[in-house]
Amino acid sequence: MSGGIARGRLAEERKAWRKNHPHGFVARPETLADGSANLMIWNCTIPGKQGTDWEGGYYPLTLHFSEDYPSKPPKCKFPQGFFHPNVYPSGTVCLSILNEDSGWRPAITVKQILVGIQDLLDQPNPADPAQTDGYHLFIQDPAEYKRRVRLQAKQYPALL
Amino acid sequence: MAAAASSEEAVKAAKVLMVGAGGIGCELLKTLALSGFSDIHIIDLDTIEVSNLNRQFLFRQSHVGQSKAKVARDAVLKFRPNINITPYHANVKDSKFNVEFFKQFNVVLNGLDNLDARRHVNRLCLAAEVPLVESGTTGFLGQVTVHVKGKTECYECQPKPVPKSYPVCTITSTPSKFVHCIVWAKDLLFAKLFGDRNQDNDLNVRSNDDSGSKTDVFERNVDEDLPQYAQRIYDHVFGYNIETALANEETWKNRKKPYPIYIRDALPEDAVQRNGSSRDHKNEEHEPSATVSLGLRNPQEIWSLADNSRVFLEALKLFFEKREKEIGNLIFDKDDQLAVEFVTAAANIRASSFGIPPHSLFEAKGVAGNIVHAVATTNAIIAGLIVIEAIKVLKGDYQNYRMTYCLEHPSRKMLLMPVEPFEPNKSCYVCSETPLVLEVNTKTTKLREVIDKVIKSKLGMNLPLVMVGATLVFEDGEGLEPDEAANYALNLEKVLAELPAPVVNDTKITVEDFQQELKCSINIKHRDEFDEEKEPDGMVLAGWSGPVDKQVNSNGDKRSVPSSSSADDIDSTAEDIPVKPGMKRKLNEILESQENFDALQNQSDVGSSSAQVVEDDDDDIVMLDEDPKQGKKKRLQ
Repeated sequence: MSGGIARGRLAEERKAWRKNHPHGFVARPETLADGSANLMIWNCTIPGKQGTDWEGGYYPLTLHFSEDYPSKPPKCKFPQGFFHPNVYPSGTVCLSILNEDSGWRPAITVKQILVGIQDLLDQPNPADPAQTDGYHLFIQDPAEYKRRVRLQAKQYPALL
Repeated sequence: MAAAASSEEAVKAAKVLMVGAGGIGCELLKTLALSGFSDIHIIDLDTIEVSNLNRQFLFRQSHVGQSKAKVARDAVLKFRPNINITPYHANVKDSKFNVEFFKQFNVVLNGLDNLDARRHVNRLCLAAEVPLVESGTTGFLGQVTVHVKGKTECYECQPKPVPKSYPVCTITSTPSKFVHCIVWAKDLLFAKLFGDRNQDNDLNVRSNDDSGSKTDVFERNVDEDLPQYAQRIYDHVFGYNIETALANEETWKNRKKPYPIYIRDALPEDAVQRNGSSRDHKNEEHEPSATVSLGLRNPQEIWSLADNSRVFLEALKLFFEKREKEIGNLIFDKDDQLAVEFVTAAANIRASSFGIPPHSLFEAKGVAGNIVHAVATTNAIIAGLIVIEAIKVLKGDYQNYRMTYCLEHPSRKMLLMPVEPFEPNKSCYVCSETPLVLEVNTKTTKLREVIDKVIKSKLGMNLPLVMVGATLVFEDGEGLEPDEAANYALNLEKVLAELPAPVVNDTKITVEDFQQELKCSINIKHRDEFDEEKEPDGMVLAGWSGPVDKQVNSNGDKRSVPSSSSADDIDSTAEDIPVKPGMKRKLNEILESQENFDALQNQSDVGSSSAQVVEDDDDDIVMLDEDPKQGKKKRLQ
């Protein structure tokens, strides 16, 4: 028996997203080869903000919802090795609103999560580093950091 | 259910199902038998373990390894030989325990230890329309609640507290409590060293950041002996990683800095040498244990940093020496002595780095295994309360149903806090609607036909979403990607049984409309043949009373809802509360007396706070939430 509360809420999130979502973002339940869609896993794209080094990149992000959603936040993952001070080597995003103990509230929508992560891209939080690479460059070598961010933006072009 | 005249008659005639024959279950079976119940079925998938014997008193040492349900039956038949007890050594989620199975019982009594099974039984009881008495205990705390469809809230009407999880950042970088160190030791370090190598793990595994050399320091080098390997791991996780973390000054501005610990500091040189000499100990015939090797026999003792370091090195070595085959597949288990030793030592060393007080093996095991020690008396009290509620249910005495919370400290001079049940939550996804039943030939009927003939024309939806569990098989309306729309168009032409999530007999589908606030569940019943004249659609929808009109629903007079379905055979006599699709009675309509109504008003505060205390199970698996400002117990899956 697949989760009542989580599933019901995700159906609502799905409808809300279809009706209205921010430009350039994608968020959709994972489509399986057999023509069905799994509400528990969403494949998303976050566009880099215009006017930042992240511009031009369309970053793939996967949301993994559990049966305890929305009591618990979804796990949000970029591809492994994603370059950003607050992204773990596994790709997991470290962000207060995704943290059950601090910022997460069940009322937070998928839209708010994605916009929050878009903001985080260009405004990393140096107090909570999650990877060595991104963090060190961000602190010690801003020029190289900038170069790496721009390089990464090119690795994730718009999917057309 | 007909209201029985007396308790004795009700009890004698009742056929009851008990789910769970553990801590609560043993007490419950005994109390049922002694109260005159004579037809009892028990489901439990577990076998008896030594650790059960202190409180599951129907079991003796000679029963270890046998089915709980069967042994419990035999034990009770010794003192009540003339009653019928039917045991099932099986999982209640097994498909043989379907709605039809549940329908044969007058009441279902839960003595379960996990949320998943509780949800499952709740839903089956709702579908079978069988009352459920639900229970749980955690140490001194316990509760019994009554769930009767349409009369009280169901088990899932209120969200349940979920087990505490900790943010990755706290665990990997900034632990402040001992439990953080335990989580680090078992979920990161233990998993990294002995678990599946391919799983995600946020432990820092690189020795440096020179691009190119991405060697995993956790790999054992070919030329490395075990003590060398163990010491290298030690220095990496307790020394190097802490130094790396310290380099990030920002993190420590408002926090106490940890200090790195290297093996040369923790253990004098000679001790490091001696540590490798465990093979003389008579460790062969028993399961390998670092504390046995090292002579640390008192599990209540708090070890020094040196002792912890020795246990760490020894346990790591023993895993590689004695249990090499399991490496790569190990998952932390609180009953695995060596694993508990390793995790205790690792957590204590890390705690010492971060200035957190160390804990004994016994305490660490409790934290790591999320153990709250069960109290036999609580189980006995709860079992008694279950029987009291069960008898009320059997007599149809719904005015007197109570949820009862067993507290650790008296509140309003009461240790047992009775609370009147709440009315069903109207937006509860699980019980807020009576599922419709659609008879259809699932092998020949296409999804398109169901959507056109039932979902659109009968349920009045315009742009339906069709779901099977969490799988979407159809959506309509704007905002779909072209490939999604194409997939759904293909699904429309498939027959039900061949959909990506097959819709067959007993499948429950959920239908929502993209625009309307309307949701329905439909239970599918497969039927091969339909009468062409009487059933020209080739399908029959039952339980549907016309479109739900919110206006009608809220004015309280349920019977004004037009009933168009001939299959709706619920007899609405004056005593019966009619249960129809989309209809919910408020509890205050059921409990008509002013007295009851006042009591209901009074207790809403008690109910909501007590509901948080509600916890769990008969067994050792409940998590202690260490957050003092909440001071409540949370459920572990």
